[in-house]
Amino acid sequence: MALEALKDVVRKIKSSSSIDKYLVEEIVRDIQRALLRADVNVRHVKQISDAIKKRALSEDVLPTFNVREHIIKIVYEELMRGIGEGLDIPLKKAKIMLVGLQGSGKTTTTAKMAKYFKDKGLKAGVITADTWRPAAYDQLKQLAEAYDIGFYGDKNEKDAVKIVRDGLEKMKDYDIIIIDTAGRHALEEGLINEMIEISRVANPDYKLLVLDAAIGQLASTQAKRFHDAIGIDGIVITKFDGTAKGGGALSAAREIGIPIAFLGTGEKVEDFEKFDPAGFVSRLLGMGDIKALLEKV
Amino acid sequence: VFEREVIIDEGKLEGILSELEMILLESDVAFDVVDEITQKLKDSLVGRRKKIGQKLSDIVIDELKSILKDILDRNRFDFDEFVRNVDKPANILFVGVNGTGKTTTIAKIAKRLTSQGYSVVVAAGDTFRAGAIEQLEEHAKNLGVKIIKHKTGADPAAVIFDAIKHAEAKGIDIVLSDTAGRMHTKKNLIDQLGKIKRVTKPALTIFVDESLAGNDAIERARMFNDAVGIDGSILTKLDADPKGGTAISISYITGKPVLFVGTGQSYDDLEKFSSEWLIGRIFD
Ligand SMILES: Nc1nc2c(ncn2[C@@H]2O[C@H](COP(=O)(O)OP(=O)(O)OP(=O)(O)O)[C@@H](O)[C@H]2O)c(=O)[nH]1
Ligand SMILES: Nc1nc2c(ncn2[C@@H]2O[C@H](COP(=O)(O)OP(=O)(O)OP(=O)(O)O)[C@@H](O)[C@H]2O)c(=O)[nH]1
Ligand SMILES: [Mg+2]
Ligand SMILES: [Mg+2]
Repeated sequence: MALEALKDVVRKIKSSSSIDKYLVEEIVRDIQRALLRADVNVRHVKQISDAIKKRALSEDVLPTFNVREHIIKIVYEELMRGIGEGLDIPLKKAKIMLVGLQGSGKTTTTAKMAKYFKDKGLKAGVITADTWRPAAYDQLKQLAEAYDIGFYGDKNEKDAVKIVRDGLEKMKDYDIIIIDTAGRHALEEGLINEMIEISRVANPDYKLLVLDAAIGQLASTQAKRFHDAIGIDGIVITKFDGTAKGGGALSAAREIGIPIAFLGTGEKVEDFEKFDPAGFVSRLLGMGDIKALLEKV
Repeated sequence: VFEREVIIDEGKLEGILSELEMILLESDVAFDVVDEITQKLKDSLVGRRKKIGQKLSDIVIDELKSILKDILDRNRFDFDEFVRNVDKPANILFVGVNGTGKTTTIAKIAKRLTSQGYSVVVAAGDTFRAGAIEQLEEHAKNLGVKIIKHKTGADPAAVIFDAIKHAEAKGIDIVLSDTAGRMHTKKNLIDQLGKIKRVTKPALTIFVDESLAGNDAIERARMFNDAVGIDGSILTKLDADPKGGTAISISYITGKPVLFVGTGQSYDDLEKFSSEWLIGRIFD
């Protein structure tokens, strides 16, 4: 009896068992559909499904898991592979620069992050280095004033690099400085060069790429270009309060091997959270509570 | 002449279809839309006869292109012709989720209309977002068009209503009405758009979305179309080099045409949409 039970404790999904093999195929197909619907990069979906098939049939199934749970745990690990569980920004003096595509949510996130650190007791300020978008200055200034956050900008200066240099000088006594930059994409050579120059002058401790949760297949290639240009340390996913699942942004993180730091969950400056991988993947797959599953291990 | 024919069966199609599905998915056509298009393709091809020597892949691709063209051209109308014939002043309302390019697109349309000789007023109907009024104001100044604005927090319907009154009094042709970006899931904000429509009776309601969006495009297009009612869409940020499959998703879900695409941040970066152009972009 005891021996029987022991054999059952660690089980493999036998590749010889056609039922299990069929079940794995079927679950992988479900997962592929979920990943594609969630905007995970098509190439990544292929890699991930190959990895699942291989691992699901060869690895031990934990005693508390059924086949489906076994596979979902593998999917979770594969999705998070190489990007870690999040990004911890310690509560001490730091310069943070936000970059990203047009309209992704940088300016709003600049205010959100400043408030986030201010609430944790740090002296937080923002610099607006967007000299392109009409009224970018007013937008950030109004947000900063409403939340009593330090602000630096120069409406009449067209040189973003100079603004950043002057702003950093003026804000020397601040703990956290967040730099908002203009929206740009990979093909805008001039704007990419401007970003490189700002990054060189500011020498930020963290360079975060701000991505819309709804971005599709282009996310990885765009992210790669930003990363090659200045070296990205983390990703912020915005507009997570809608129905978008964030698979594009996740693919971007996977593509360049960096963590996701924060989520924007609304238009208000308060709507800002630290990234929670299990919650994120549960929502992405739409397949139940992965946190509870991982805790069963 | 005796030509031999074969019947197309599902087995023969399988490989070609999955390759085409990949192309569509990589072009950001939403998964569910790709699924339905593939089903349509099967329905129309299985059982059809083809001549021996005729390449099956050519037949499938031609059929796919024609399905896509049908989707993209449903209810198509010419924007310029519409503007020419509409009763003046006409209110054109721009709606969409956050940050897609509504305000910038209004500026581009204003430029287009004024250079065609129409008079234009813009209404600062985004009374919510920080800096929104100032943003439209700066565009209006650059373009030399009048802006009607209230204070932050004011009722957007009242702002647009005032702009229409102004246009009536001054004999202005077109009112371009900005609205705050909003999530399709926020019921109170979507209801507010319903109210704006009732009060300001737009001649045209245009949904602005960005071509960078993937699968979520169908969710928001569906909800804006169902709850607010749209006549057409404008797809922005094509210059960032997405293939543009989002146009197919949105047209499929709403049954309304894409009118223009935004191709940059300058006022002239607005082009008329053409289904041939988009299909070429995806397949060539
Ligand atoms: N619903 C929702 N809206 C958001 C969120 N973050 C930002 N937004 C909205 O998205 C829109 C664009 O945000 P911005 O902060 O102006 O984006 P940006 O990246 O600075 O834009 P550019 O400077 O033009 O490139 C605004 O309407 C914001 O209110 C979020 O997490 N949820
Ligand atoms: N590259 C590119 N950028 C664009 C295009 N259209 C708009 N943008 C940029 O996208 C950003 C957001 O544009 P807005 O016009 O403010 O978008 P919106 O929909 O009015 O945003 P909210 O009012 O905050 O919801 C700005 O930086 C614009 O310059 C386009 O076709 N190409
Ligand atoms: Mg900005
Ligand atoms: Mg706007």
